[in-house]
Amino acid sequence: MIQPADFLTLVLILLSAIVAGRLLAPYIVKIFTHAPSRLDRFLDPVEKAIYRLLGVAPSHGMGWREYFLSALIVNIFQMILAFIIFVFQGGLPLNPQGFPGFSLDLAFMQVISFGTNTNLQHYNGEGVCNQLPNCYPLNNTPGLSYLSQMTAVQFLQFTSATTGICVAAAMIRGFVANSRDMGNFYTDFVRSLTRLFLPLCLIAALIFVGLGVPQTLNGYRIVSTLEGSTQTILVGPVASLVSIMQLGTNGGGYYGANSAYPFQNPNPASDIFQIFLMLLIPTALCFVYGQMLGKKKEARPILWGAYSLFAIDLLIAFIPNYTLSRGMEARFGGFFSTFWTVVTTAVTTGSVNSSLFGNHPLVILSAFMGMLIQSSPGGKGVGVMYMVMYVVITVFIVGLMSGRTPEYLGMKINARDVKLVMLTFLVHPVIILVPTVLAYATGAASAIGVSTGSTGFTQIFYEFTSAAANNGSDFLGATGNTPFFNISTALVMLSGRFIPIGLLLALAGSMMNRRRTSEIGLRTDSATFTIVLVGSILLLVVLTFFPFLALGPILEFFQKRVNGF
Amino acid sequence: MQTMRHLSRSGLRTSLFSRRTLRDSLIRLNPALLLSNPVMFIVELTFFVVAAMAVYPPAFWPVASLALRVYYVEIALILLLTVWFATLSNALAESQAKNTANSLRSLESEVQSKKILVEGDVRRVVATPSTALRKGDLILLEKNDVVPIDAEVLEGISMVDESLLTGESTPVRKAPGDEVIGGSKIISDNLTARVTVNPEETYISQMIKMVESSKRPRTPNEVAVTMVLVGLTAIFTIIVSALLGLSITLNLAIDLSVLIALYVCLLPTTIGALLPAIGLSGISRLYRRKIVAKSGRAVERAGDTDVIILDKTGTITVGNRQATEFIPFEGHTSKEVGEAAFLSSWHDDTPEGRSLIRLAYEDGFVPRELNALAVSEVYEFSASTRTSGVKISQGSGFMLPKGDKSGRERGRLRRKFEPRQEAGSAPSEDETEIIKGAPDAVKKIVRTVPSNYDELVNQISSRGDTPLAVTKNREAIGLIRLRDVLKPDIREKIESVKVMGIRPVMLTGDQPLTAKSIANEVGIDEYKPEAKPEDKYEIVMREQAENRVVAMIGDGTNDAPALAAADVGLAMNSGTQAAKEAANMVDLESNPAKIIEVVMLGKQLLMTRGAVTTFSIANDVAKYFAIVPVMFASTLPQLKALNILGLGLNTAVLSALIFNAVIIPLLIPLAMRGIRFKPTSTMSLFIKNALIYGGGGIIVPFIGIKLIDTALLSLGA
Amino acid sequence: MSLTKEIGRNSTPAIRLAVVSMLLCGLLFPLAVTGFAQVLFPSQANGSIAHFTTSNSKAVGSYLIAQNFSDPLLFEPRNSSLSASGVDPDITLQDAIAQVPRISNLTGIPQGDINDIINQNVEGTFWIFGSPYVNVLRLNLALIHNFQTIYEQKDPGLFVL
Repeated sequence: MIQPADFLTLVLILLSAIVAGRLLAPYIVKIFTHAPSRLDRFLDPVEKAIYRLLGVAPSHGMGWREYFLSALIVNIFQMILAFIIFVFQGGLPLNPQGFPGFSLDLAFMQVISFGTNTNLQHYNGEGVCNQLPNCYPLNNTPGLSYLSQMTAVQFLQFTSATTGICVAAAMIRGFVANSRDMGNFYTDFVRSLTRLFLPLCLIAALIFVGLGVPQTLNGYRIVSTLEGSTQTILVGPVASLVSIMQLGTNGGGYYGANSAYPFQNPNPASDIFQIFLMLLIPTALCFVYGQMLGKKKEARPILWGAYSLFAIDLLIAFIPNYTLSRGMEARFGGFFSTFWTVVTTAVTTGSVNSSLFGNHPLVILSAFMGMLIQSSPGGKGVGVMYMVMYVVITVFIVGLMSGRTPEYLGMKINARDVKLVMLTFLVHPVIILVPTVLAYATGAASAIGVSTGSTGFTQIFYEFTSAAANNGSDFLGATGNTPFFNISTALVMLSGRFIPIGLLLALAGSMMNRRRTSEIGLRTDSATFTIVLVGSILLLVVLTFFPFLALGPILEFFQKRVNGF
Repeated sequence: MQTMRHLSRSGLRTSLFSRRTLRDSLIRLNPALLLSNPVMFIVELTFFVVAAMAVYPPAFWPVASLALRVYYVEIALILLLTVWFATLSNALAESQAKNTANSLRSLESEVQSKKILVEGDVRRVVATPSTALRKGDLILLEKNDVVPIDAEVLEGISMVDESLLTGESTPVRKAPGDEVIGGSKIISDNLTARVTVNPEETYISQMIKMVESSKRPRTPNEVAVTMVLVGLTAIFTIIVSALLGLSITLNLAIDLSVLIALYVCLLPTTIGALLPAIGLSGISRLYRRKIVAKSGRAVERAGDTDVIILDKTGTITVGNRQATEFIPFEGHTSKEVGEAAFLSSWHDDTPEGRSLIRLAYEDGFVPRELNALAVSEVYEFSASTRTSGVKISQGSGFMLPKGDKSGRERGRLRRKFEPRQEAGSAPSEDETEIIKGAPDAVKKIVRTVPSNYDELVNQISSRGDTPLAVTKNREAIGLIRLRDVLKPDIREKIESVKVMGIRPVMLTGDQPLTAKSIANEVGIDEYKPEAKPEDKYEIVMREQAENRVVAMIGDGTNDAPALAAADVGLAMNSGTQAAKEAANMVDLESNPAKIIEVVMLGKQLLMTRGAVTTFSIANDVAKYFAIVPVMFASTLPQLKALNILGLGLNTAVLSALIFNAVIIPLLIPLAMRGIRFKPTSTMSLFIKNALIYGGGGIIVPFIGIKLIDTALLSLGA
Repeated sequence: MSLTKEIGRNSTPAIRLAVVSMLLCGLLFPLAVTGFAQVLFPSQANGSIAHFTTSNSKAVGSYLIAQNFSDPLLFEPRNSSLSASGVDPDITLQDAIAQVPRISNLTGIPQGDINDIINQNVEGTFWIFGSPYVNVLRLNLALIHNFQTIYEQKDPGLFVL
């Protein structure tokens, strides 16, 4: 059970994220509606110069397909550039440690991982195995040069986050009454970068430096300790990465231990700030949804639905007593470690501040829920998209009972919409379960020492769930650096990212010119609807995976209840 | 009452559970016929798999064992039963729909008409059923006849009551060249007319076609629900396949039959089985109310109605007005007016005339001159003067029988004292001439117009009533208040429409003051007075431009464009061919008030479909908890902790599967009758149904499965 | 518009945007942060290096990275394999207090004095929030600084340059 002071801490952090999200939302809306802003004086010339450089007409409105295609193509080119950096980092500058390049399969997997906002990492960025609990010999996993950390990792973290928020904006435009098109991907992308991510990350990065996170291009520092032995201080351009990895719900850490490593997360203050950053944009986008629609109340089911699911996650995670246990950091203790695990999966960031091995099975169960639902409140952009999809299908199935053909925002939901939603629903079971079975069937799991018991199954099931949900936290870490896991997770991440985005953009595209009635039948902005929505999501999403959760964390829970935790 | 017997509960049973229905349901087990129902098709496939397991288990090694053969037989049987319940529900619904449709055959409009056969110079009138008339035939239309079919007037001038067709309560004058509409009623004079259309094909044959499920096109909403079912089926297929894969690779030793049982339990079999029956029964319920829908889509659309256009006459008020008050002008008394009205109405057989006599009689205004009526001269109502009246000579006559007179009795009396037909000479000293009629027409014939004439006329109109002026020897003596009579429970009906968020719009031919007053009385905020049939089209267009769903009724040819444009158009069977063709539903009883029922039935259909879908999906919670713990029981005993129902290890799967099968026939009555609901707001309906069918869908199977399990355990299974 | 046409039309801008965004996010941004950080927070930006300030200012590691203390006269960090990072620089307050009797016994420093030093270095709490912890390196440096003579006597190795 949660302690009162901890509960208050938790509530205050969530409240501050909601309040800040509410305050940030109108600013984000301005970015996508091209409403005049005080920043125009400085940024308009810069953006215009970029458009000229790209050779695009900023006024050109795209349909859903062109928007999706341009996003996809841009993302592919970005991943190709990062791929080149990863493979050739050995010969490129800003490599004070002289790390060699990545193997092709690892580079392939990692660019997809960062490019899809997943940030599953089958390597340790710092490159040395510093007595981590889950650290195996890492002969074949080199670290990353500063250039790779910057121009591959941070670069893709920015662009994947930006892509996420852009496609969400495009989807929302589809639901906005009388919109002519879904916007222009290039202008959305450039404006989100120049007006949202770059400035916010600059501020956040400097706050992190102030809190103790290093930011230097000087190489690792060798010092002799107080007792005279030699120690390597693994510094680097960390703060700039941490800012975007949390704000962009990417989650890929500078270090293998991610935000458990003291340089990435030096104290409770930096920990709270990172939790806040993770929640900020996904929460703000719930409000953005209502504001862009011109129906602020429609943000209610999105926001409160998300936070209700989040509360359920927290409730499950905090059932067991939490203490500073093995795999946790003393400065975070049981509370901040557990809280972080729930947050990072609820917003599908995937960063960790403790080792997943150290978490109670119920916390892991809660993490699974966050990743399977993907919108509590989910990753920036896609979280809102998924929630809108849940609203549409809930309106359809349960809304029929109100005696009218189901309507959302006055638009009748037709068979094609339902088909697109069901296809989106189908993506997760396929891309999570098929590779999970294959991992055992091909012997890939046993090859890296994963058992067939509940603990082992949890690790494999978690790996693909995390990949599919574009979360990025995992049990395997660098041990997953085998061709099977690199290629399978890469394909899962790619499908888990772009198939739903494509399907949901298609859904929004078909909403664009649909007839709308002003009559309100089923009020989707009501509390009742939110309750039904949450129930439907739990039923349709979490329950679907019940047998597998039973084989993993639930079984582990019952086994450990007998054998002791 | 042939129809009603068919519809009574016991009647329904005997006629539905026939040998034919049974045979039908068995024929439908043919997998090829099940392809249109993906969920049931898959359940049948699993039956074949389990049946094969029972026949030769070694073929399924390592996921089947010889020791479990009896178990496989049991599971296979339950699976087959599940599919049969589905086909049975379908056959039942179809049989019900066909029976109801057949029973309506007797109601098909067959008005007797008077066909004129011309043989040389001789004209002969032959009684002919209206369905036997052809375009170009000549027909005779006499006073009080119902026009059998649309026709063009060749000879004669007549007043025709088209109120049931057009909503216009004032009779319409028809002269050669005008069209008379089928279903309207001749209220004065005779006409000869030529039939302009051929009678329609019988609807019954169309209906029978529509209820044969194999041919019935699925409605858009049914297609969308099917998408959900197919999607869920695909998801559960992957889930169960993955479990099978893990069972082998992780050595979980799950028997294939258990996996199949889990699979079938998770599939939305309940809604999959009942979906066709729900749609068919929705149409049947319309039939039972003697309404023919041309497509299932129209019924669904009715549920979405935002605006409902109501004709005042026939929907809100009964067709005729009733006298309620005699209002004298200065210098006259109510008694005088009442007696004059009595006298002038004695020969008037219209409901209005009868109501006048009743009122006078009740007020004790029975005139002395009644005796003289025998030798009176009657001025029949004519379209040109818009008045009627009587001229009475004093001195002779008969005594009015005591007590109320029945219409038949009065008819007999009238025949006995048939007045002379010639009219018009000015009244002499011992003669009294009484004329009543429309105030503006009467104004022209009186010698002096009382100063408050117009004021009183307007006062009556503004209350929603119709004034009638009475003169005695060309002197205006008073007014009669005729009141529109509201249909019983129309206020409640309008209220129920309004609480469901539907906006009623009233159309009437009445003048604005009258219209306003009636609209206020029944609680309608929006009305269109002095409406012409074209106004309906305008309203439909206006509302549809705002993307509202419009329901309306109509019968005249003038209504046809509006009926065609409206989302839900209900035509009266007594209406013209054009109207019936344009509409997507026809009421065989020609009762315009039924439009409200149509809307409610549409809602009920959608609600029933939603309720069973939600119930079906919510059931999965309990089924998971029933099967998953025992599924892993042999290898992962710790998961027995999830067996919160405490089911038997050997019976849990069977119990869940039996529940899954049995819930289908248990819900057949619900599917066929539709879920009950009280008209309330969309939101309250949603909340209530979500609680009952969503909440109930979670709880009921827990109880059901536990009960079945207890029964199985006590049977020693 | 056909699919191939849409792809073809967007290829050139797409590759240009990829390059521009790489320069902007991957180079310009981290370099700008580095520049600001080095000016504003040089100590933190370079790894919060701890200095042995008593007799000389040699770097003795980072406050944020745990180091092994085998010397029983000093506070010991958590066993590295118990934490997630392996370099957890902190111990809980209880853990620190538990070590006080041992250090007091070996050094002769009164327990109360050691407790005072611990209390001066407690972190992680704010009003009613948080659970207290102490940074081991900070604690040990404070201990050595306050009782320099005792440590010079007991473990002169600590003071070797």
